[in-house]
Amino acid sequence: MNIELRDVQFSYGPVKALDGVTLQIGEGACGLLGPNGAGKSTLLKVLLGFLRPDTGEGLVLGHDIRKDSFGIRRVVGYMPEDDCFIPGLDAVAFTALFGELSGMPRAEAMKRAHDVLYYVGLGEARYRNLETYSAGMKQRLKLAQALVHDPKILFLDEPTANLDPQGRTEILELIADISSKKDIHVLISSHILTDIEQTCGSLVILNKGKVAAQGELAALREVRFSLYELKAKGETGPFLEALRHGECRVEETEDGIIKIYLPEAMGRRDVFRLAEESGIQIRHFVKSRTSLEDLFARTVGVD
Amino acid sequence: MAIAERGYTHWPGSLEGGRRPWRVLEDFQEMLKGADKFLHINPAYFQAYYGSSFLIFMMLMIMVGSGSGLIADDLRHNSLPLYFSRPLRKRDYVGGKFGALAFFLLLLTLVPGILFILLKLLFAGSFAFLADYPWLPFSFIGWSVFISSFFSLYTLLLSSLGRNRRYAAILMVAAYFLSDVFFGIFYGIFHEPAFCLISVQMNLRQLSAAFLGAKPQFDVPWIYSFLVLSAVMVAAVLVLRRKIRVAEVIR
Amino acid sequence: MIPGGLAVRADKLGKWYGNVLGLSDVSIEIRPGITGLLGPNGAGKSTFMKLITGQLRPSIGTVTIDNQPVWNNPEIFRRVGFCPEQDAFYEDTTGREFLSGLLGLSGYSAAEVRDRSDRALAFVGLEDAADRLIRGYSRGMRQRLKISQAIAHEPDILILDEPLNGLDPLSKRKVIKLIKDYRTEGRTVLVSSHVLPEIEALTQSIVLVHQGKILAEGDIHYIRDLIDAHPHVVAVKTGDGRGLAAKFVGEADVLSVRFDETEGTVLFETRNRDRFFERLTRLAADEGLDVEEITSPDDNLQSVFDYLVGK
Repeated sequence: MNIELRDVQFSYGPVKALDGVTLQIGEGACGLLGPNGAGKSTLLKVLLGFLRPDTGEGLVLGHDIRKDSFGIRRVVGYMPEDDCFIPGLDAVAFTALFGELSGMPRAEAMKRAHDVLYYVGLGEARYRNLETYSAGMKQRLKLAQALVHDPKILFLDEPTANLDPQGRTEILELIADISSKKDIHVLISSHILTDIEQTCGSLVILNKGKVAAQGELAALREVRFSLYELKAKGETGPFLEALRHGECRVEETEDGIIKIYLPEAMGRRDVFRLAEESGIQIRHFVKSRTSLEDLFARTVGVD
Repeated sequence: MAIAERGYTHWPGSLEGGRRPWRVLEDFQEMLKGADKFLHINPAYFQAYYGSSFLIFMMLMIMVGSGSGLIADDLRHNSLPLYFSRPLRKRDYVGGKFGALAFFLLLLTLVPGILFILLKLLFAGSFAFLADYPWLPFSFIGWSVFISSFFSLYTLLLSSLGRNRRYAAILMVAAYFLSDVFFGIFYGIFHEPAFCLISVQMNLRQLSAAFLGAKPQFDVPWIYSFLVLSAVMVAAVLVLRRKIRVAEVIR
Repeated sequence: MIPGGLAVRADKLGKWYGNVLGLSDVSIEIRPGITGLLGPNGAGKSTFMKLITGQLRPSIGTVTIDNQPVWNNPEIFRRVGFCPEQDAFYEDTTGREFLSGLLGLSGYSAAEVRDRSDRALAFVGLEDAADRLIRGYSRGMRQRLKISQAIAHEPDILILDEPLNGLDPLSKRKVIKLIKDYRTEGRTVLVSSHVLPEIEALTQSIVLVHQGKILAEGDIHYIRDLIDAHPHVVAVKTGDGRGLAAKFVGEADVLSVRFDETEGTVLFETRNRDRFFERLTRLAADEGLDVEEITSPDDNLQSVFDYLVGK
């Protein structure tokens, strides 16, 4: 386990931000979800040692979060949520500065700064003053400074906030590439569920300072009964009629998706057979999984 | 036995080849003598330099120009989390900022003082000066360090109050001069020298006089000025401890 | 006022700021229903929204609503609601005060202001928080308050600039539902967003702006079909991928077949989806093949965006 927390509590005065958080986070990319005020940012800050938990224990890569926050900060790269940079510097000086602050020798930090800036796609802009950077470039710069000291874990707080579609895709591709390396792990906090869906293998959902769900994404989304979603082209009336006749429960959503609950007596092939007999094409056919949004709504328990 | 010939005689030596430009500096010794008269480097000279409004004005310029944004810019651009996600303590951060500013202020205070002493020793060609005033190096070094630390902390304090470096700069100048203006008003009305304690500038002058063995302008014990200025420094440290934090309290 | 049926029409609309291009030569008609407005940063989305709402004067061309020009036309402003991207509140007023203040500006009587603000607050679900100071509002509540001011005068045309930005998934859900509820009353809603799946959750009808021009408009899947340069990709998951592929390689419309062994899928590129799916449905019904999943990985808004705007 890379990150382990046991019964961690933290309060801002009377407000309990973390209320007995116990979790394990393993290999790869892990998503951190929760409504506003659920304690996501607080959790990241506790993990980095910015905040001392009131009670509870925790380890990040074997470093105690109470006693060895410097040890943690050496192996963790942190990408904060807000826009942040230091005015008057160019990207190389900026990135190298944080490499040096992490304990890299000056020359090495400089060399590494060029490498990570190329990696995040700022190679050509690296001598420009940071104040002239666009939102997407600032986001990459934040990623570069988080990577400069070659951390073992990356904490990314809302990495795609305020980006346009291209910017989002590019950052997500970078994150996916980083987390595909075996020896670097990623913890992403985000409000955009599709981002988590695209990049993460496991998931922690926080709600009101408590862990509402955690585990592998695939396992959390698994549906036990045979529920299929399909889209069809053609006159679907007779097809649906035939399905209902075969004891299927059929639902149609407003965006044209047909949901079928298959009884045990029927298999997938029967669906295709009925479709062929009714003269329609099946254009989309998947075993239904709980959408991340539904999973989120269910665990957080609203609506 | 010979009789020396009278009249013109020859020089029996031979000329050497090289040129000797340094002999042109023949006048240098003359200049040194003049400078020694001109540069009356003695305690009064130090008192005049360290008590001059010009020096304080130059220090203010440095503080306004390069000090006002030290922390305000970091707050404005949210860069504190970046610093503190590295193995860095609060005191490392504040210490770094303090050191950068104090370095430049010491260039204006400590370095000239050392130069004066060196020049004096050079011109006088003896250590008699130091023997006469053995306390002088200690007092001007002490004073340089004190005033530089005071101004550095003063700058960091005001720079950490907001996210805008201009406000910090305005605050720095305003607090400095307004306190002086108030002193002027009260002193004009009540003629009570103790009011000098409300003016930053007057406190500094009182204390510089005390450090350098001059007679203070006002008949107020220097220890009070020292306490006032130290209180500002302590307040600065306390405020910085509160203000420099990564985790904002979320409502 | 009878709601519904008003069209927003732009004709050769252009806007420059000095020599900076905002929007150039846009002719479009936005009909009732929800339309998603998308494009990269600086493409001209906000300029377009501001032109429609009459906050900017066109450099060239016209914008009309119900055949009346928008610029400097207070009658039209009554029928348009706008929710800007930025938060600009008086933090020390309550939600209700904020809303009634704005309604007062529209010239309603005191009784009507009260009535309308009650209704608008109830619509966005803020009736319980209405008398708290805005300072204490969460991001979701602020966003809903902004929407409430845009709909309080029941406009026929609602323009929302990034209404979902920065919201957590639950607040997003609420806001999406709000927008859809408003739509079902038969009005025109124009929504911009950077997060494409969110647009897809709202509507199938989009306007894609790029470099100051309209790059595409209409139904997402219709637009996808029009992009000839990228043939459709269909992914089929089956136990016997190679067996399935063998049945397709002879077909003229199949351009390529690829195997993704980690996913266990076969990826077909086809120029003619109709023929492909017809055949696939038939094969899946046959005894020999067990088709587990059929998906179209590039039949979505993200792909449309990528193909049209380019990476």
